[in-house]
Amino acid sequence: MSAVLQVSNLRKSFGGITAVDGVSFEVREGEILGIIGPNGSGKSTLFNCVLGQLSPNGGEVRVDGKPTTGMRPCDLNRLGVSRTFQLLQVFPQLSVRDNLILAGQEHRGTMLSRLIGRADAGLGDAADQMIAFFRLSHLSSAPAGLLSYGQQKLLDAAMAFMAGPRLVLLDEPAGGVNLTMLGHLRERLQAYHAERKATFVVIEHQMEFVMALCTRVLVLAEGRIIAEGAPRDIARNPAVIEAYLGH
Amino acid sequence: MKWLAAGAAAAAAIFALIAPLLLKPFGIYLISMWAVLTIAALGLNLTLGYAGQVSLAQGAFVGIGAYTVALLTPVGCPFALAFLAAGALCFAVGWVLGYPALRVQHHYLAFVTLAFSTLVFLVLRNEEWLTGGIYGINGVARPSFFGWSTFKALNFYYFSLGMLAVLAAATWWMLRSPWGRAFVALRENPVRALSLGLDTRRYTLMAFAIGSSLGGMAGALYAPLVQFIEPVSFTLGLSFNLLLMVIVGGSGYFFGPFVGALIAVLLPEWMRVAQGYYLIVYAMLVMVMMAFCPSGILGLLERALKAFAPRGKEAAP
Repeated sequence: MSAVLQVSNLRKSFGGITAVDGVSFEVREGEILGIIGPNGSGKSTLFNCVLGQLSPNGGEVRVDGKPTTGMRPCDLNRLGVSRTFQLLQVFPQLSVRDNLILAGQEHRGTMLSRLIGRADAGLGDAADQMIAFFRLSHLSSAPAGLLSYGQQKLLDAAMAFMAGPRLVLLDEPAGGVNLTMLGHLRERLQAYHAERKATFVVIEHQMEFVMALCTRVLVLAEGRIIAEGAPRDIARNPAVIEAYLGH
Repeated sequence: MKWLAAGAAAAAAIFALIAPLLLKPFGIYLISMWAVLTIAALGLNLTLGYAGQVSLAQGAFVGIGAYTVALLTPVGCPFALAFLAAGALCFAVGWVLGYPALRVQHHYLAFVTLAFSTLVFLVLRNEEWLTGGIYGINGVARPSFFGWSTFKALNFYYFSLGMLAVLAAATWWMLRSPWGRAFVALRENPVRALSLGLDTRRYTLMAFAIGSSLGGMAGALYAPLVQFIEPVSFTLGLSFNLLLMVIVGGSGYFFGPFVGALIAVLLPEWMRVAQGYYLIVYAMLVMVMMAFCPSGILGLLERALKAFAPRGKEAAP
């Protein structure tokens, strides 16, 4: 199976603090890779370097074999790499439907055709299908800011899928979500993965969520990879237990 | 709610057509000024209200547009061409002015645009060989189209109203297109917008350029309306006045500038009964209005309509 994402010897420092220290890994097509680690282990910095939000101090990132290190997030997105953020990032004044159309519109046509073409950029049906898939149909025309936290998390995830990406990076999708909504979110992510054969990378603290969703897990501590393997093996790994619980 | 808004807009349009027939020449001049400044405020509403980019330079763009027409028409350039040149020049200058917005935001950006506004004033005042300096340019002609002259106040009003209708329709089209959605995204969350593939750099520059272009086109109508232009007409005071129109009417509401310009143009005149105190009364009224409805008159109206509307199902459980 070919590698969708290749990260080689990636490094990022802030002053004297090294947040990501020579991290290398691959994400294979169709897998769901979980990245876990205690607070401050460098997970979000790693994500931000991969996604162009931060410029790494060294190393290389490739998507489908193409170098993307330092590429702008909008250009990466157009290459088929999508993401969600740790904190909620929907557009509160736009309706749920408009949030989803917005998430896909830049993948359609040119600037000029988006100005003179259809108001929904030809994405109305796709947005409605995505809304139905995430079971938000009854809220389609509601401003996103009026949705509950869990519903906004669902919308956030749906937006990441709207353009049919090759690779989706989910930054703590379960953070702050209640157990009922968490189960629903996991079930929808699994259904999407099964249906579209999508490739996910998930950063998460919620271990049950990671164990149930991911096919492979990578553990970060102090900016380095300390373990890698199947979820069941990772749960028993002494180095991982020590990193989480300390000495 | 949409039907109510459409009905109100239709009633306002009919009133705008009939109103000058009931007014004296000064009244017609005032509503012509309203039509012209509404175009400039529409541009600022696009830049500030929709795209969230603060600009204190809209008055300067009105000035650039006014001087473009005042300088080109006497040398034989047709008004239509001079009008387009004013829009194009302001589009180009606005695009360049948008670059600082890629690096700084909010009050820092306000200072950058404020400096630009002052720079334009200094150029208009000091480059006497071109602009006439403090003496300004007198006798700016009102245009004629296929034998129809806009020299008379009533004709010029209908011409300005027609231009307002065309430019407002074009702005409406743009705001309902994916561009409008992108501008709102830029205002609400540029980081997320970027991650969804929006070229925020290009949309920011576009918001500045188009908003400035509308300012320039308003200036192109302003010059033949007043027929005499001078640098002091386009100082920071005009930019603040246009900002006031956008904020009072309702920033980010399409019809906000129409309402805001009506208040900013007509209220000071109605307040003249207070004689020397009219500006104080006007300022106090604006302060009270801002204290009680920071989202502007249309924001207040929307809240009131929602409060009286029958309750629907709640979005959040």
